[in-house]
Amino acid sequence: MHHAAVIAGRRALLTVGMWQESASPGVGGATLSPETVFLSVMDEKAERQLTELLAVDLDDGFTELVRVHERAVYAFLLRVTGSATEADDLGQDAFLRAYTALCGYAPQRRRELKPRAWLMTIAANVWRNHVRTCTRRPTAAWMPVEDALDAWTDDGPGPAEHAALADDQRRLVAVLLELPQHHRIAVVLRHMVGMSYAEVAEVQGCAVGTAKAQVSRGLSRLRRLLDSETSELKEVTT
Amino acid sequence: MKPTDSEAMPPRDLISDLTRLVAEPPQDFATRVLQRAGIPRERYDTYVRLDTPGGGLFVAAGPQAVTGSALDSAGLTATAFEALHRERTHRSAVRSGKPFPGVVTALRTGRARRLPIDLSGFTPVEQAVLEAVRAVPAGQLRPISWIAREAAVPAEVVAGALAMNPSAVLIPCHRVTYDNGAPCDSGFLPELGDALRAAEGIDRGKTEERRSQGVMFLGSDTTRIYCHPTCAHARRITPPHQVPFRTAREAGRAGYRACKSCRPVTV
Repeated sequence: MHHAAVIAGRRALLTVGMWQESASPGVGGATLSPETVFLSVMDEKAERQLTELLAVDLDDGFTELVRVHERAVYAFLLRVTGSATEADDLGQDAFLRAYTALCGYAPQRRRELKPRAWLMTIAANVWRNHVRTCTRRPTAAWMPVEDALDAWTDDGPGPAEHAALADDQRRLVAVLLELPQHHRIAVVLRHMVGMSYAEVAEVQGCAVGTAKAQVSRGLSRLRRLLDSETSELKEVTT
Repeated sequence: MKPTDSEAMPPRDLISDLTRLVAEPPQDFATRVLQRAGIPRERYDTYVRLDTPGGGLFVAAGPQAVTGSALDSAGLTATAFEALHRERTHRSAVRSGKPFPGVVTALRTGRARRLPIDLSGFTPVEQAVLEAVRAVPAGQLRPISWIAREAAVPAEVVAGALAMNPSAVLIPCHRVTYDNGAPCDSGFLPELGDALRAAEGIDRGKTEERRSQGVMFLGSDTTRIYCHPTCAHARRITPPHQVPFRTAREAGRAGYRACKSCRPVTV
């Protein structure tokens, strides 16, 4: 279990050099407004403070890591899994793995981390492992009756989520779950978490061009699925 | 019809739909992570957002004491509050679903004096001023000179210390006025101060009226005692027996003594 996170960390480290080269403004996104450039500069400064803290004081640094990135990790897992309970469980798991991995790192290595991309790599791996376990051993998903009773109503979006989401947004959530895994991860990372293509590539462990292709294919597939659904709806109503 | 429809739905629409799908994690998500990772509780603060008459109030607290609070009415978001808190205290504040014990009651009743608030990052003078402000009862106003006397500091430093208030509402700076009776909302917007005072039953019209007439104290001609006009004892004086005074000296000359509850400045 622990190895996945460590390997992910190593991969993140290997790609650090590549990331820094391609991180100049205008390369990551298609068109960057001055505002986004400013924001990304702010992000970079905050990330450097965070890694410095991680290197100096692990407990304090980890608390800060959780504070800054909990929303992004949760949002990513929520849209990738489509279930609030699973996103919660996997998010907890991902952060714990991050903590155990950090405990084993030397301060210098913690200083060189790219925290957000590194965390997302761990979260993506945790989710992939989870999906694999569930398909290989479907019985593993069975629970004792007492637990199943608790989880009974939590399967899928609850009434609160239904109320919060408009109808077309709900459709988008459902359609998103029909994308293949690697496209789904790329689209969610790029357009919901707001990462640059370089960071997406780092999480996916591929070239920047491949990441761009994944996002664009994912988006066009989404559009096609949405269109076919609306036309079906129209046929039904007419 | 169809092709124009899909043309009119260019990539931007889908992308903005996607960005709008971001949802907040459960309130106790971060605290559960930290608990399971075994981070000691005294290493971080937790915060909640509570409702007050002045808008939402973020209240951050460590295991022993409240470490800071801020109103969100000036457009302060949760992330901005976290960043400010980090900057001021060098402690991380993570979201939580559980307020510090006693905070909810303190906000409901307006009595936050017994609530432990951590002021260790301040100079002795600032601490003295803020502690003096905490002694002002709910629904009452005190002038800066009164705060200065209670804190045993020169009156000039009071306004500066009030502006440093780390804990809006819980340290009731909205109950402090200038010596002419005008509220000195140094930490936040005046409308917020008005809302907070109105919720405590301080009538803005009446205070304005007294200020325009220069009335600083109210005496009772039956007891021969004079008070701050918002003092609980002054509020009980029936209108026929109210005697207004402009200064403490005027009251003294008329043979009145100062109230022992609200302790007006006599010199």
